[in-house]
Amino acid sequence: MTEDTDHIDEHEGSVPFYRRQIVIFISGSVVIAFMLVLVSMALYGSSGAAQLDLSRPGYQSVQDQVDRTDTFESFPANGPVTVAILEQFQKLFDRQVKPVDNSEAFSPAALEYQALDLDAPTEDN
Amino acid sequence: MKSVIFSLAALIATSFLLTSLPAAAQSEVMTDAHIDRIKSNCQAALGTLSRIHANDAPAYINRNQTYFSISDKLMAHLNSRLTLNRFDATDLVKTASSFNTALAKFRTSYKQYDETMSEVLKIDCRRQPVSFYDKVGETRQQRQKVNESVRQLQSLIDQYRDGVQAFKVKHMEQLTGGRS
Repeated sequence: MTEDTDHIDEHEGSVPFYRRQIVIFISGSVVIAFMLVLVSMALYGSSGAAQLDLSRPGYQSVQDQVDRTDTFESFPANGPVTVAILEQFQKLFDRQVKPVDNSEAFSPAALEYQALDLDAPTEDN
Repeated sequence: MKSVIFSLAALIATSFLLTSLPAAAQSEVMTDAHIDRIKSNCQAALGTLSRIHANDAPAYINRNQTYFSISDKLMAHLNSRLTLNRFDATDLVKTASSFNTALAKFRTSYKQYDETMSEVLKIDCRRQPVSFYDKVGETRQQRQKVNESVRQLQSLIDQYRDGVQAFKVKHMEQLTGGRS
C-alpha cells in the first residue's frame, strides 16, 4: 500500500505543475465559451432578434425586399402649436402611415386547407 | 389507504381520458382518403408554405419598423409638443400608449407564428400527415392573431388621426392665437 502511494507520488511529481493548470485552464475556457454561446442563442431566440435576421438560411432571396434606408420623416418635438402646425402634422401622418395602411396583411386565408389542397376529399372524387 | 389509492387512480385515468379526447376525435374525423390526399399534396403545400414564410419576414421587418417610427417619431413627438405648450393631450397620450402595447403584441404574436411555421416546415409530412395537418391548422390560428394585431394597430392609427382632428376643433380658439 505504501509502495503504491509512493509510486503514484513519484509519477505525479514527474508531470510539470503548469501542465495540469494549462489543461484545466483550456477545458474551463471551452466550457465557459460553450455556456456563453448557449446563453446568447437563447437570447437571440427569445428577444425576437431572430425574426429580424434575414441572414438566416432561406431568407437570402428576400433580403432586397427590406427597406434599408430610413426615410421616415420625423415631426419636431419642440415649437409652437398652431392650426397650421397641426395641419402640417396631419399631412405628414397620413403620408407616413400609407405603407402600413392595409389590414389584410398576414391574412390567414393563405393557410386555409382548401388553398393548400389539404382539405378532405369530396365524395365525388 | 385503499380509498386514497383508488381516488388517485381514478383521477389519473380521468385526466388521461380528457387529454386524449381531442386527438381521438381528430383521428375519427380524418378518413384514409383524406390522409392519402394530404400525403400526395403535402410536398406542394410545403413549397407554398415555404414561400409564404420567406415573404412574411421582410413584410414583418418593414411593418415593425414603420409602426415603431409612427410611435416614436410622430405620436410621441406631437404629444410632447402639446404637453410642452401646456395643452391637455391626455386622449392622444392614451392612444399612443395603447399603440405601443399593440405593437408589443404584434411582435409577440409574429414570433409565435414564425416559430410554429418553422416547425411545420420541418415535419416529414409523408410520414406524419396528421401531425402536419394539425400543425398547419395551428399555424393558421397564429397567423390570424398576427392579422388581428395588424387590424388593432390600424384602428389605433385611425383613432389617433381622429384624436388630432378632435383636438384641433376643440382648441381652435387657442390655436389661432398660437401658444408658444
